Amino acid sequence: MASAAGHKNPDIFSDLFSKHFSGRLKLLLVYAILIIATVQTIYPLFWMVFGSLKTDADLFNNVWGPPRTMIWQNYIDAWRIADLGARIGNSIIITALSLTVLLIVSSIAAYALARLQFPGRQAIFLIILATMMIPPEVTVIPLFIVVRTLGILNSRFGLVFVYAGTSMAFSIFLLRGFFMSIPPELEDAALVDGANRLQVFWYVVLPLARPGLATVAIFQGMFFWNEFFLAFIFIRQAELQTIPLGLVNFFYRYSADWTLYFAALSMVTIPVIVLYVGMQRWFIEGLTAGAVKS
Amino acid sequence: MMLTPAIILLVIFVLIPIVYGFYLSFHRWDGFNSPEFIGTRNYIRLIERDDVFLKAVTNTIIFAISVVLVKNLLGLFLALLVNQKIKGVIFFRTALFLPVTLSFVVIGLLWSWIYNPTFGLLNAGLELLGLDGLIRAWLSDQATALGAIITVDIWKWTGFHMVLFLAGLQSIPKDLYEVAIIDGASAWTRLTRITLPLLAPVTFISVLLSLNGAFVRNFELVFVMTDGGPNHTTEVVLTHLVTQAFRFGKLGYASAMGFALFVVVAVIAFTYIRIGRSGTYNF
Repeated sequence: MASAAGHKNPDIFSDLFSKHFSGRLKLLLVYAILIIATVQTIYPLFWMVFGSLKTDADLFNNVWGPPRTMIWQNYIDAWRIADLGARIGNSIIITALSLTVLLIVSSIAAYALARLQFPGRQAIFLIILATMMIPPEVTVIPLFIVVRTLGILNSRFGLVFVYAGTSMAFSIFLLRGFFMSIPPELEDAALVDGANRLQVFWYVVLPLARPGLATVAIFQGMFFWNEFFLAFIFIRQAELQTIPLGLVNFFYRYSADWTLYFAALSMVTIPVIVLYVGMQRWFIEGLTAGAVKS
Repeated sequence: MMLTPAIILLVIFVLIPIVYGFYLSFHRWDGFNSPEFIGTRNYIRLIERDDVFLKAVTNTIIFAISVVLVKNLLGLFLALLVNQKIKGVIFFRTALFLPVTLSFVVIGLLWSWIYNPTFGLLNAGLELLGLDGLIRAWLSDQATALGAIITVDIWKWTGFHMVLFLAGLQSIPKDLYEVAIIDGASAWTRLTRITLPLLAPVTFISVLLSLNGAFVRNFELVFVMTDGGPNHTTEVVLTHLVTQAFRFGKLGYASAMGFALFVVVAVIAFTYIRIGRSGTYNF
Protein backbone atom coordinates (compact mmCIF):
# COMPACT_ATOMS: atom_id res chain seq x y z
CA MET A 1 0.00 0.00 0.00
CA ALA A 2 2.54 2.50 1.18
CA SER A 3 4.82 1.89 -1.75
CA ALA A 4 2.11 2.10 -4.39
CA ALA A 5 0.53 5.20 -2.90
CA GLY A 6 3.85 7.00 -3.05
CA HIS A 7 3.36 10.70 -2.57
CA LYS A 8 -0.34 10.53 -1.81
CA ASN A 9 0.35 8.67 1.41
CA PRO A 10 0.77 11.21 4.21
CA ASP A 11 2.64 8.82 6.52
CA ILE A 12 5.97 10.30 7.32
CA PHE A 13 8.20 7.33 7.46
CA SER A 14 7.07 5.66 4.30
CA ASP A 15 8.63 8.33 2.13
CA LEU A 16 11.47 9.45 4.33
CA PHE A 17 13.79 7.53 2.03
CA SER A 18 11.81 8.11 -1.10
CA LYS A 19 14.61 10.06 -2.73
CA HIS A 20 17.04 7.22 -2.32
CA PHE A 21 14.99 4.08 -2.67
CA SER A 22 12.20 2.88 -4.86
CA GLY A 23 8.90 2.12 -3.12
CA ARG A 24 9.34 -1.62 -3.10
CA LEU A 25 12.82 -1.49 -1.62
CA LYS A 26 11.65 0.95 1.05
CA LEU A 27 8.81 -1.34 2.06
CA LEU A 28 11.28 -4.21 2.24
CA LEU A 29 13.50 -2.17 4.54
CA VAL A 30 10.57 -1.30 6.83
CA TYR A 31 9.59 -4.96 7.05
CA ALA A 32 13.18 -6.03 7.68
CA ILE A 33 13.47 -3.66 10.65
CA LEU A 34 10.08 -4.66 12.06
CA ILE A 35 10.80 -8.35 11.71
CA ILE A 36 14.18 -8.04 13.44
CA ALA A 37 12.60 -6.02 16.26
CA THR A 38 9.79 -8.54 16.64
CA VAL A 39 12.05 -11.59 16.57
CA GLN A 40 14.31 -10.20 19.27
CA THR A 41 11.19 -9.43 21.30
CA ILE A 42 9.38 -12.74 21.08
CA TYR A 43 12.07 -15.30 20.31
CA PRO A 44 13.35 -15.21 23.93
CA LEU A 45 9.86 -16.24 25.03
CA PHE A 46 9.75 -19.16 22.59
CA TRP A 47 13.21 -20.07 23.79
CA MET A 48 11.93 -20.09 27.36
CA VAL A 49 9.16 -22.53 26.44
CA PHE A 50 11.60 -24.68 24.43
CA GLY A 51 13.93 -24.82 27.42
CA SER A 52 11.10 -25.83 29.71
CA LEU A 53 10.50 -29.01 27.70
CA LYS A 54 14.12 -30.06 27.20
CA THR A 55 16.34 -32.53 28.97
CA ASP A 56 19.46 -31.07 30.59
CA ALA A 57 21.64 -32.45 27.81
CA ASP A 58 19.32 -31.02 25.18
CA LEU A 59 19.42 -27.61 26.89
CA PHE A 60 23.20 -27.47 26.82
CA ASN A 61 23.85 -29.02 23.40
CA ASN A 62 20.91 -27.71 21.42
CA VAL A 63 20.87 -24.17 22.71
CA TRP A 64 18.61 -22.23 20.40
CA GLY A 65 16.45 -24.87 18.75
CA PRO A 66 13.19 -26.53 19.84
CA PRO A 67 13.34 -29.57 22.16
CA ARG A 68 14.19 -32.93 20.59
CA THR A 69 11.87 -34.77 22.95
CA MET A 70 9.19 -33.13 25.09
CA ILE A 71 9.76 -33.60 28.82
CA TRP A 72 6.39 -32.64 30.31
CA GLN A 73 7.55 -33.99 33.65
CA ASN A 74 9.54 -30.72 34.05
CA TYR A 75 6.26 -28.88 34.54
CA ILE A 76 4.99 -31.31 37.17
CA ASP A 77 8.28 -31.19 39.11
CA ALA A 78 8.62 -27.41 38.90
CA TRP A 79 5.02 -26.85 40.00
CA ARG A 80 5.59 -29.05 43.05
CA ILE A 81 9.07 -27.86 44.08
CA ALA A 82 8.40 -24.15 43.53
CA ASP A 83 5.03 -24.55 45.28
CA LEU A 84 3.50 -22.51 42.49
CA GLY A 85 -0.10 -23.20 43.47
CA ALA A 86 0.29 -21.39 46.80
CA ARG A 87 2.21 -18.52 45.19
CA ILE A 88 -0.37 -18.03 42.47
CA GLY A 89 -3.06 -18.05 45.16
CA ASN A 90 -1.21 -15.37 47.14
CA SER A 91 -0.73 -13.21 44.07
CA ILE A 92 -4.42 -13.45 43.20
CA ILE A 93 -5.51 -12.59 46.75
CA ILE A 94 -3.09 -9.70 47.14
CA THR A 95 -3.77 -8.21 43.72
CA ALA A 96 -7.54 -8.51 44.09
CA LEU A 97 -7.64 -7.05 47.59
CA SER A 98 -5.25 -4.22 46.75
CA LEU A 99 -7.33 -3.29 43.72
CA THR A 100 -10.55 -3.42 45.74
CA VAL A 101 -9.21 -1.13 48.45
CA LEU A 102 -7.59 1.17 45.92
CA LEU A 103 -10.62 1.49 43.65
CA ILE A 104 -13.12 2.10 46.44
CA VAL A 105 -11.05 4.61 48.39
CA SER A 106 -9.61 6.49 45.43
CA SER A 107 -12.83 6.73 43.43
CA ILE A 108 -14.72 8.24 46.38
CA ALA A 109 -11.91 10.70 47.05
CA ALA A 110 -11.54 11.56 43.36
CA TYR A 111 -15.25 12.26 43.11
CA ALA A 112 -15.14 14.59 46.11
CA LEU A 113 -12.18 16.45 44.60
CA ALA A 114 -13.90 16.68 41.23
CA ARG A 115 -17.31 17.87 42.37
CA LEU A 116 -17.54 19.15 45.92
CA GLN A 117 -16.50 22.54 47.26
CA PHE A 118 -14.85 22.48 50.66
CA PRO A 119 -12.02 24.27 52.43
CA GLY A 120 -8.58 22.78 51.78
CA ARG A 121 -9.62 21.17 48.52
CA GLN A 122 -6.86 22.83 46.50
CA ALA A 123 -4.23 22.04 49.14
CA ILE A 124 -5.17 18.36 49.24
CA PHE A 125 -5.08 18.16 45.49
CA LEU A 126 -1.64 19.77 45.36
CA ILE A 127 -0.27 17.28 47.90
CA ILE A 128 -1.67 14.43 45.82
CA LEU A 129 -0.07 15.88 42.68
CA ALA A 130 3.28 16.25 44.41
CA THR A 131 3.40 12.78 45.96
CA MET A 132 2.41 11.19 42.67
CA MET A 133 5.94 11.75 41.43
CA ILE A 134 7.60 10.12 44.44
CA PRO A 135 8.14 6.39 43.99
CA PRO A 136 7.71 4.38 47.25
CA GLU A 137 11.17 2.87 46.82
CA VAL A 138 12.88 6.02 48.13
CA THR A 139 11.05 5.88 51.46
CA VAL A 140 11.31 2.14 51.93
CA ILE A 141 13.17 2.22 55.28
CA PRO A 142 10.73 4.50 57.14
CA LEU A 143 7.86 2.71 55.41
CA PHE A 144 9.22 -0.55 56.76
CA ILE A 145 9.27 0.89 60.29
CA VAL A 146 5.73 2.24 59.92
CA VAL A 147 4.47 -1.15 58.76
CA ARG A 148 6.34 -2.92 61.56
CA THR A 149 4.92 -0.51 64.15
CA LEU A 150 1.40 -1.16 62.86
CA GLY A 151 2.05 -4.89 63.34
CA ILE A 152 1.25 -5.76 59.72
CA LEU A 153 4.73 -6.80 58.62
CA ASN A 154 4.79 -10.24 57.04
CA SER A 155 1.09 -10.32 56.27
CA ARG A 156 -0.93 -10.19 53.06
CA PHE A 157 -3.04 -7.53 54.71
CA GLY A 158 0.01 -5.30 55.27
CA LEU A 159 1.18 -5.58 51.69
CA VAL A 160 -2.32 -4.82 50.43
CA PHE A 161 -2.37 -1.53 52.34
CA VAL A 162 1.16 -0.62 51.29
CA TYR A 163 0.16 -1.20 47.65
CA ALA A 164 -3.11 0.69 47.92
CA GLY A 165 -1.57 3.54 49.94
CA THR A 166 1.42 4.12 47.68
CA SER A 167 -0.58 4.08 44.45
CA MET A 168 -3.46 6.13 45.84
CA ALA A 169 -2.27 9.51 44.55
CA PHE A 170 -1.94 8.42 40.95
CA SER A 171 -5.27 6.68 40.96
CA ILE A 172 -7.09 9.67 42.50
CA PHE A 173 -5.52 11.99 39.96
CA LEU A 174 -6.58 9.80 37.06
CA LEU A 175 -10.14 9.26 38.24
CA ARG A 176 -10.63 12.90 39.14
CA GLY A 177 -9.93 13.81 35.53
CA PHE A 178 -12.41 11.19 34.45
CA PHE A 179 -15.19 12.39 36.76
CA MET A 180 -14.67 15.97 35.68
CA SER A 181 -15.32 14.97 32.07
CA ILE A 182 -18.78 13.61 32.99
CA PRO A 183 -21.48 16.29 32.52
CA PRO A 184 -22.82 17.36 35.95
CA GLU A 185 -26.43 17.76 34.72
CA LEU A 186 -27.14 14.05 35.25
CA GLU A 187 -26.10 14.23 38.87
CA ASP A 188 -28.04 17.44 39.44
CA ALA A 189 -31.20 15.73 38.20
CA ALA A 190 -30.69 12.85 40.64
CA LEU A 191 -29.98 15.27 43.49
CA VAL A 192 -33.16 17.20 42.75
CA ASP A 193 -35.04 13.88 42.88
CA GLY A 194 -33.85 13.49 46.48
CA ALA A 195 -30.83 11.19 46.14
CA ASN A 196 -27.90 11.98 48.41
CA ARG A 197 -24.30 12.41 47.22
CA LEU A 198 -23.22 8.85 47.88
CA GLN A 199 -26.26 7.46 46.07
CA VAL A 200 -25.56 9.74 43.13
CA PHE A 201 -21.96 8.60 43.14
CA TRP A 202 -22.86 4.93 43.29
CA TYR A 203 -25.81 4.79 40.88
CA VAL A 204 -25.08 7.60 38.44
CA VAL A 205 -21.39 8.43 38.35
CA LEU A 206 -19.64 5.07 38.79
CA PRO A 207 -21.47 3.33 35.93
CA LEU A 208 -20.51 6.21 33.64
CA ALA A 209 -16.91 6.10 34.82
CA ARG A 210 -16.44 2.42 34.01
CA PRO A 211 -13.72 3.02 31.38
CA GLY A 212 -11.77 5.09 33.93
CA LEU A 213 -12.07 2.39 36.56
CA ALA A 214 -10.99 -0.21 34.01
CA THR A 215 -7.92 1.85 33.19
CA VAL A 216 -6.92 2.04 36.85
CA ALA A 217 -7.65 -1.66 37.34
CA ILE A 218 -5.48 -2.73 34.42
CA PHE A 219 -2.68 -0.25 35.08
CA GLN A 220 -2.43 -0.93 38.81
CA GLY A 221 -3.52 -4.59 38.71
CA MET A 222 -0.64 -5.30 36.38
CA PHE A 223 1.70 -3.40 38.69
CA PHE A 224 0.58 -5.28 41.82
CA TRP A 225 0.72 -8.66 40.06
CA ASN A 226 4.29 -8.05 38.90
CA GLU A 227 5.60 -6.12 41.89
CA PHE A 228 8.72 -7.50 43.57
CA PHE A 229 10.57 -4.84 45.57
CA LEU A 230 7.93 -3.98 48.19
CA ALA A 231 6.82 -7.61 48.49
CA PHE A 232 10.47 -8.57 49.05
CA ILE A 233 10.77 -6.05 51.88
CA PHE A 234 7.42 -6.68 53.57
CA ILE A 235 6.90 -10.44 53.10
CA ARG A 236 9.52 -12.85 54.38
CA GLN A 237 7.44 -15.93 55.19
CA ALA A 238 7.51 -18.54 52.42
CA GLU A 239 3.79 -19.35 52.70
CA LEU A 240 2.85 -15.73 51.99
CA GLN A 241 5.10 -15.17 49.00
CA THR A 242 3.72 -13.90 45.71
CA ILE A 243 4.77 -15.28 42.33
CA PRO A 244 7.78 -12.99 41.76
CA LEU A 245 9.14 -13.72 45.26
CA GLY A 246 8.52 -17.43 44.84
CA LEU A 247 10.36 -17.51 41.52
CA VAL A 248 13.41 -15.78 42.97
CA ASN A 249 13.32 -18.10 45.96
CA PHE A 250 13.05 -21.18 43.78
CA PHE A 251 15.88 -19.97 41.62
CA TYR A 252 18.22 -19.45 44.56
CA ARG A 253 17.38 -22.70 46.35
CA TYR A 254 17.86 -25.24 43.59
CA SER A 255 20.79 -23.94 41.70
CA ALA A 256 21.20 -26.49 38.94
CA ASP A 257 17.74 -27.57 37.79
CA TRP A 258 17.77 -25.33 34.76
CA THR A 259 15.00 -27.04 32.85
CA LEU A 260 12.74 -26.77 35.92
CA TYR A 261 13.43 -23.03 36.12
CA PHE A 262 12.41 -22.69 32.50
CA ALA A 263 9.25 -24.67 33.26
CA ALA A 264 8.37 -22.56 36.30
CA LEU A 265 8.94 -19.35 34.35
CA SER A 266 6.84 -20.63 31.45
CA MET A 267 3.98 -21.57 33.75
CA VAL A 268 3.69 -18.09 35.22
CA THR A 269 4.34 -16.29 31.93
CA ILE A 270 2.14 -18.15 29.46
CA PRO A 271 -1.17 -17.26 31.19
CA VAL A 272 -0.17 -13.58 31.24
CA ILE A 273 0.69 -13.70 27.55
CA VAL A 274 -2.57 -15.47 26.70
CA LEU A 275 -4.52 -12.90 28.71
CA TYR A 276 -2.66 -10.07 27.02
CA VAL A 277 -3.14 -11.40 23.49
CA GLY A 278 -6.82 -12.04 24.18
CA MET A 279 -7.44 -8.59 25.65
CA GLN A 280 -4.69 -6.62 23.96
CA ARG A 281 -6.87 -3.61 23.18
CA TRP A 282 -7.75 -3.31 26.86
CA PHE A 283 -4.16 -3.75 27.91
CA ILE A 284 -2.68 -1.28 25.47
CA GLU A 285 -5.42 1.30 25.96
CA GLY A 286 -5.50 0.80 29.73
CA LEU A 287 -1.77 1.09 30.15
CA THR A 288 -1.28 4.02 27.83
CA ALA A 289 -4.44 5.90 28.77
CA GLY A 290 -3.31 5.52 32.37
CA ALA A 291 -0.14 7.24 31.35
CA VAL A 292 -1.46 9.85 28.95
CA LYS A 293 -4.36 11.02 31.10
CA SER A 294 -1.89 12.00 33.78
CA MET B 1 -16.23 12.91 54.81
CA MET B 2 -15.57 11.26 51.49
CA LEU B 3 -11.86 12.03 51.49
CA THR B 4 -11.05 10.61 54.93
CA PRO B 5 -10.01 7.05 53.99
CA ALA B 6 -7.78 8.31 51.18
CA ILE B 7 -6.15 10.92 53.42
CA ILE B 8 -5.48 8.36 56.16
CA LEU B 9 -3.80 5.99 53.70
CA LEU B 10 -1.79 8.81 52.12
CA VAL B 11 -0.63 10.11 55.50
CA ILE B 12 0.37 6.68 56.86
CA PHE B 13 2.02 5.23 53.78
CA VAL B 14 3.35 8.30 51.96
CA LEU B 15 3.67 11.45 54.06
CA ILE B 16 4.81 10.02 57.41
CA PRO B 17 7.52 7.89 55.72
CA ILE B 18 8.93 10.98 53.98
CA VAL B 19 9.15 13.01 57.20
CA TYR B 20 10.21 10.06 59.33
CA GLY B 21 12.91 9.13 56.81
CA PHE B 22 14.32 12.65 57.06
CA TYR B 23 14.38 12.31 60.87
CA LEU B 24 16.04 8.88 60.76
CA SER B 25 18.74 10.06 58.40
CA PHE B 26 20.30 12.07 61.26
CA HIS B 27 20.47 9.06 63.55
CA ARG B 28 22.45 5.91 64.03
CA TRP B 29 19.94 3.09 64.42
CA ASP B 30 19.93 -0.70 64.29
CA GLY B 31 16.13 -0.82 64.21
CA PHE B 32 15.71 -2.13 67.77
CA ASN B 33 17.44 0.05 70.38
CA SER B 34 16.59 3.73 70.56
CA PRO B 35 17.99 5.87 67.71
CA GLU B 36 21.10 7.90 68.56
CA PHE B 37 21.31 11.43 67.11
CA ILE B 38 24.54 11.91 65.15
CA GLY B 39 23.84 15.09 63.16
CA THR B 40 24.94 15.01 59.54
CA ARG B 41 27.46 12.22 60.00
CA ASN B 42 25.50 9.76 57.85
CA TYR B 43 25.56 12.21 54.95
CA ILE B 44 29.24 13.02 55.43
CA ARG B 45 30.07 9.35 55.47
CA LEU B 46 28.08 8.76 52.27
CA ILE B 47 30.06 11.37 50.41
CA GLU B 48 33.50 10.93 51.94
CA ARG B 49 33.95 7.35 52.94
CA ASP B 50 31.57 5.06 51.10
CA ASP B 51 33.21 4.08 47.81
CA VAL B 52 30.45 1.61 47.01
CA PHE B 53 27.86 4.39 47.35
CA LEU B 54 29.75 6.58 44.90
CA LYS B 55 29.95 3.69 42.46
CA ALA B 56 26.24 3.07 42.98
CA VAL B 57 25.44 6.72 42.29
CA THR B 58 27.48 6.68 39.08
CA ASN B 59 25.79 3.48 37.93
CA THR B 60 22.35 4.79 38.81
CA ILE B 61 22.96 7.92 36.75
CA ILE B 62 24.36 5.95 33.80
CA PHE B 63 21.36 3.63 34.00
CA ALA B 64 18.86 6.49 34.20
CA ILE B 65 20.28 8.54 31.33
CA SER B 66 20.68 5.56 28.99
CA VAL B 67 17.24 4.11 29.56
CA VAL B 68 15.44 7.46 29.22
CA LEU B 69 17.25 8.29 25.98
CA VAL B 70 17.15 4.91 24.29
CA LYS B 71 13.60 3.88 25.28
CA ASN B 72 12.19 7.13 23.91
CA LEU B 73 14.26 7.28 20.74
CA LEU B 74 13.64 3.62 19.88
CA GLY B 75 10.00 3.95 20.87
CA LEU B 76 9.56 6.94 18.55
CA PHE B 77 11.39 5.18 15.73
CA LEU B 78 9.24 2.06 16.02
CA ALA B 79 6.08 4.18 16.32
CA LEU B 80 6.88 5.84 12.99
CA LEU B 81 7.25 2.38 11.46
CA VAL B 82 4.06 0.87 12.86
CA ASN B 83 2.05 4.00 12.06
CA GLN B 84 2.00 3.00 8.41
CA LYS B 85 -0.77 1.23 6.62
CA ILE B 86 1.08 -1.95 5.85
CA LYS B 87 0.10 -5.59 6.15
CA GLY B 88 0.56 -7.20 9.56
CA VAL B 89 1.06 -3.95 11.38
CA ILE B 90 -1.30 -4.96 14.21
CA PHE B 91 0.74 -8.10 14.74
CA PHE B 92 3.94 -6.08 15.02
CA ARG B 93 2.38 -3.64 17.49
CA THR B 94 1.03 -6.47 19.66
CA ALA B 95 4.30 -8.36 19.66
CA LEU B 96 6.48 -5.34 20.40
CA PHE B 97 4.30 -4.33 23.36
CA LEU B 98 4.35 -7.81 24.89
CA PRO B 99 7.36 -7.43 27.26
CA VAL B 100 5.59 -4.51 28.99
CA THR B 101 3.16 -6.98 30.52
CA LEU B 102 5.81 -9.26 32.04
CA SER B 103 7.33 -8.73 35.48
CA PHE B 104 10.90 -7.59 36.08
CA VAL B 105 11.57 -10.87 37.86
CA VAL B 106 10.42 -12.99 34.93
CA ILE B 107 12.36 -10.83 32.50
CA GLY B 108 15.44 -10.63 34.71
CA LEU B 109 15.61 -14.40 35.15
CA LEU B 110 14.96 -15.04 31.47
CA TRP B 111 17.66 -12.62 30.39
CA SER B 112 20.21 -13.88 32.87
CA TRP B 113 19.79 -17.24 31.15
CA ILE B 114 20.01 -15.63 27.73
CA TYR B 115 23.34 -14.13 28.85
CA ASN B 116 24.44 -17.42 30.44
CA PRO B 117 27.86 -18.46 29.09
CA THR B 118 27.13 -22.20 28.84
CA PHE B 119 23.58 -22.46 27.46
CA GLY B 120 22.72 -18.82 26.78
CA LEU B 121 20.87 -17.79 23.66
CA LEU B 122 23.04 -14.73 23.06
CA ASN B 123 26.38 -16.51 22.78
CA ALA B 124 24.78 -19.27 20.70
CA GLY B 125 23.37 -16.63 18.39
CA LEU B 126 26.73 -14.89 18.06
CA GLU B 127 28.38 -18.20 17.24
CA LEU B 128 25.76 -18.84 14.59
CA LEU B 129 26.51 -15.48 13.00
CA GLY B 130 30.23 -16.20 13.09
CA LEU B 131 30.89 -13.49 15.67
CA ASP B 132 32.78 -15.81 18.02
CA GLY B 133 35.03 -12.95 19.07
CA LEU B 134 32.17 -11.28 20.92
CA ILE B 135 31.29 -14.32 23.03
CA ARG B 136 31.71 -13.69 26.73
CA ALA B 137 30.13 -14.19 30.15
CA TRP B 138 28.05 -11.02 29.81
CA LEU B 139 26.94 -10.66 33.41
CA SER B 140 30.16 -11.61 35.17
CA ASP B 141 32.35 -9.50 32.90
CA GLN B 142 32.92 -6.13 34.56
CA ALA B 143 33.02 -4.38 31.20
CA THR B 144 29.60 -5.55 30.04
CA ALA B 145 27.48 -6.31 33.13
CA LEU B 146 25.88 -2.88 33.58
CA GLY B 147 25.22 -2.48 29.85
CA ALA B 148 23.66 -5.94 29.76
CA ILE B 149 21.20 -4.99 32.50
CA ILE B 150 20.40 -1.62 30.92
CA THR B 151 19.63 -3.43 27.66
CA VAL B 152 17.07 -5.60 29.44
CA ASP B 153 15.26 -2.60 30.93
CA ILE B 154 15.12 -1.03 27.47
CA TRP B 155 13.88 -4.31 26.01
CA LYS B 156 11.02 -4.38 28.51
CA TRP B 157 9.80 -0.81 28.04
CA THR B 158 10.43 0.23 24.42
CA GLY B 159 7.05 -1.15 23.29
CA PHE B 160 5.30 0.98 25.88
CA HIS B 161 6.86 4.19 24.57
CA MET B 162 6.17 3.05 21.02
CA VAL B 163 2.46 2.87 21.79
CA LEU B 164 2.51 6.29 23.48
CA PHE B 165 4.17 7.87 20.46
CA LEU B 166 1.84 5.99 18.15
CA ALA B 167 -1.16 7.51 19.91
CA GLY B 168 0.47 10.91 19.47
CA LEU B 169 1.15 10.33 15.78
CA GLN B 170 -2.43 9.26 15.15
CA SER B 171 -3.76 12.45 16.68
CA ILE B 172 -1.93 14.63 14.15
CA PRO B 173 -4.37 15.79 11.45
CA LYS B 174 -3.59 14.15 8.10
CA ASP B 175 -4.36 17.27 6.05
CA LEU B 176 -1.32 19.02 7.54
CA TYR B 177 0.84 16.53 5.68
CA GLU B 178 -1.21 16.85 2.51
CA VAL B 179 -0.78 20.61 2.50
CA ALA B 180 2.93 20.24 3.20
CA ILE B 181 3.31 17.80 0.32
CA ILE B 182 1.52 20.17 -2.05
CA ASP B 183 3.92 22.89 -0.89
CA GLY B 184 6.76 20.56 -1.81
CA ALA B 185 8.09 19.91 1.69
CA SER B 186 10.46 16.95 1.85
CA ALA B 187 9.86 14.00 4.15
CA TRP B 188 12.58 15.25 6.46
CA THR B 189 11.04 18.73 6.61
CA ARG B 190 7.66 17.22 7.41
CA LEU B 191 9.19 15.12 10.20
CA THR B 192 11.02 18.04 11.80
CA ARG B 193 8.47 20.80 11.14
CA ILE B 194 5.17 18.97 11.63
CA THR B 195 5.54 15.62 13.35
CA LEU B 196 8.05 16.37 16.07
CA PRO B 197 6.58 19.74 17.17
CA LEU B 198 3.07 18.29 17.30
CA LEU B 199 4.36 15.29 19.23
CA ALA B 200 5.70 17.59 21.96
CA PRO B 201 2.92 16.85 24.50
CA VAL B 202 3.30 13.09 24.10
CA THR B 203 7.08 13.35 24.18
CA PHE B 204 6.81 15.32 27.39
CA ILE B 205 4.77 12.57 29.06
CA SER B 206 6.77 9.72 27.59
CA VAL B 207 10.03 11.19 28.90
CA LEU B 208 8.44 12.03 32.26
CA LEU B 209 7.26 8.45 32.72
CA SER B 210 10.63 6.97 31.85
CA LEU B 211 12.34 9.54 34.07
CA ASN B 212 10.08 8.77 37.01
CA GLY B 213 11.24 5.20 37.43
CA ALA B 214 14.72 5.61 35.98
CA PHE B 215 16.45 6.09 39.34
CA VAL B 216 14.65 3.42 41.36
CA ARG B 217 13.03 0.83 39.07
CA ASN B 218 16.43 -0.78 38.63
CA PHE B 219 16.43 -2.83 41.83
CA GLU B 220 14.67 -5.94 40.53
CA LEU B 221 16.84 -6.47 37.47
CA VAL B 222 20.08 -5.88 39.36
CA PHE B 223 18.99 -8.02 42.29
CA VAL B 224 17.93 -10.93 40.10
CA MET B 225 20.67 -10.76 37.49
CA THR B 226 23.89 -9.81 39.29
CA ASP B 227 23.08 -8.76 42.87
CA GLY B 228 25.30 -5.72 42.31
CA GLY B 229 28.35 -7.63 41.14
CA PRO B 230 30.86 -8.25 39.76
CA ASN B 231 32.88 -6.05 42.12
CA HIS B 232 29.97 -3.54 42.48
CA THR B 233 30.02 -2.70 38.76
CA THR B 234 26.23 -3.02 38.68
CA GLU B 235 25.53 -1.73 42.19
CA VAL B 236 22.78 0.90 42.21
CA VAL B 237 21.72 3.13 45.09
CA LEU B 238 18.68 1.04 45.93
CA THR B 239 20.57 -2.27 46.11
CA HIS B 240 23.23 -0.66 48.29
CA LEU B 241 20.52 0.83 50.50
CA VAL B 242 18.78 -2.52 50.97
CA THR B 243 22.09 -4.27 51.74
CA GLN B 244 23.04 -1.66 54.34
CA ALA B 245 19.62 -1.72 55.96
CA PHE B 246 18.63 -5.37 55.93
CA ARG B 247 21.98 -7.17 55.88
CA PHE B 248 23.96 -4.87 58.20
CA GLY B 249 21.11 -3.32 60.18
CA LYS B 250 22.18 0.28 59.47
CA LEU B 251 18.73 1.79 59.22
CA GLY B 252 19.78 5.38 59.89
CA TYR B 253 22.51 5.23 57.28
CA ALA B 254 20.18 3.63 54.74
CA SER B 255 17.59 6.33 55.49
CA ALA B 256 20.15 8.98 54.60
CA MET B 257 20.65 7.25 51.26
CA GLY B 258 16.92 7.03 50.76
CA PHE B 259 16.41 10.68 51.56
CA ALA B 260 19.18 11.71 49.18
CA LEU B 261 17.49 9.65 46.49
CA PHE B 262 14.15 11.22 47.35
CA VAL B 263 15.57 14.72 46.92
CA VAL B 264 17.16 13.85 43.59
CA VAL B 265 14.00 12.24 42.21
CA ALA B 266 11.79 15.08 43.47
CA VAL B 267 14.04 17.86 42.15
CA ILE B 268 14.36 16.23 38.73
CA ALA B 269 10.62 15.56 38.43
CA PHE B 270 9.57 19.04 39.49
CA THR B 271 12.19 20.82 37.40
CA TYR B 272 11.15 18.78 34.41
CA ILE B 273 7.46 19.48 34.95
CA ARG B 274 8.18 23.18 35.43
CA ILE B 275 10.14 23.36 32.20
CA GLY B 276 7.47 21.38 30.39
CA ARG B 277 4.79 23.68 31.72
CA SER B 278 6.53 26.82 30.52
CA GLY B 279 6.96 25.19 27.12
CA THR B 280 4.34 24.03 24.72
CA TYR B 281 2.56 21.65 27.03
CA ASN B 282 0.12 22.55 29.75
CA PHE B 283 0.49 20.11 32.58
